[in-house]
Amino acid sequence: MRNALALAAALLFGGATVALAHGPDGSVATSPPKAPYQQVSKLVKLPDFIPGLGQLFVDPATLPAGPFVAYDRDGKLVSTIYMIPIAHLNPDKTFDNLAVPGKLVDHVDVYYNAGHPGVAVPHAHIVLWHVPVSGEARVAK
Amino acid sequence: MSLSRRHMLWTGGGIVAALAFPCRAALPAEVVDIEMRGVDGGARVWFDPVGIRIHSGQTVRWTNHDVGNAHTATAYHPANFSRTRRIPASATSWDTEYLLPGEAFSVTLQAPGVYDYYCVPHEHAGMVGRIIVGQPGSAGYGEGDLPEVALRGFPAVTDIMANGVIRSAAGR
Repeated sequence: MRNALALAAALLFGGATVALAHGPDGSVATSPPKAPYQQVSKLVKLPDFIPGLGQLFVDPATLPAGPFVAYDRDGKLVSTIYMIPIAHLNPDKTFDNLAVPGKLVDHVDVYYNAGHPGVAVPHAHIVLWHVPVSGEARVAK
Repeated sequence: MSLSRRHMLWTGGGIVAALAFPCRAALPAEVVDIEMRGVDGGARVWFDPVGIRIHSGQTVRWTNHDVGNAHTATAYHPANFSRTRRIPASATSWDTEYLLPGEAFSVTLQAPGVYDYYCVPHEHAGMVGRIIVGQPGSAGYGEGDLPEVALRGFPAVTDIMANGVIRSAAGR
């Protein structure tokens, strides 16, 4: 499992690095983002605001990987999230050129998730935070 | 079998009546509560208790106590996504469908035997449960179409019969 998560992190760190010099796309800076993003809680049965993540939007065409964009309760972008099924971390599957609509990345969290509606298999959450570590509290509850 | 669905307010952990008597099956009049749980971040999810013995005609109620996720309690039965049957042949299947935090669903089980069920988005994370109504009967269900992690999640029939209630170790 640790190897799988490390690989997932490596995949995404590479993509994040090139985007450090820019602010978020105007289309995603505030909630709701413009099409093709759709509100996750209207696509599948999940709480509209998920503690620890926030309010999620995704372009369904990009599932399961995403990017998902997440907002705090004031509608401000806090993170871009990728959800990579553990089973897809294998020699025959790659995730290339994933978009980073939030652009400026402060730090990255990678952790295991057992699944949820929409990505109903164990997967890795790779969270590119656009706020400092202290700003994660904005979506904690 | 009868079904009911309702929304519940948070009850601060809702004491499970059956758990006060861990060495026997719950009394016939008691509703048996099974909690759907998960940790922050969603790394671990589980039913608690994961195994329980009840009497024929007793009602089981699942409630989602996981603030960040949706769960189901879905019988292994061909009526549910064409799954291999793992409830008594004479029993009716059920599917709570997705329950959001605070929501609950009840089923009254009549036919004796072993009832295995799972959470649709979390079967591959081993979120399964087992209920025995009365006596388990003689036939086992085999592996069927279940992933290995789900098969490992069921408490042994002998343990449920011996203890009445099997608490989940996932959240400890």
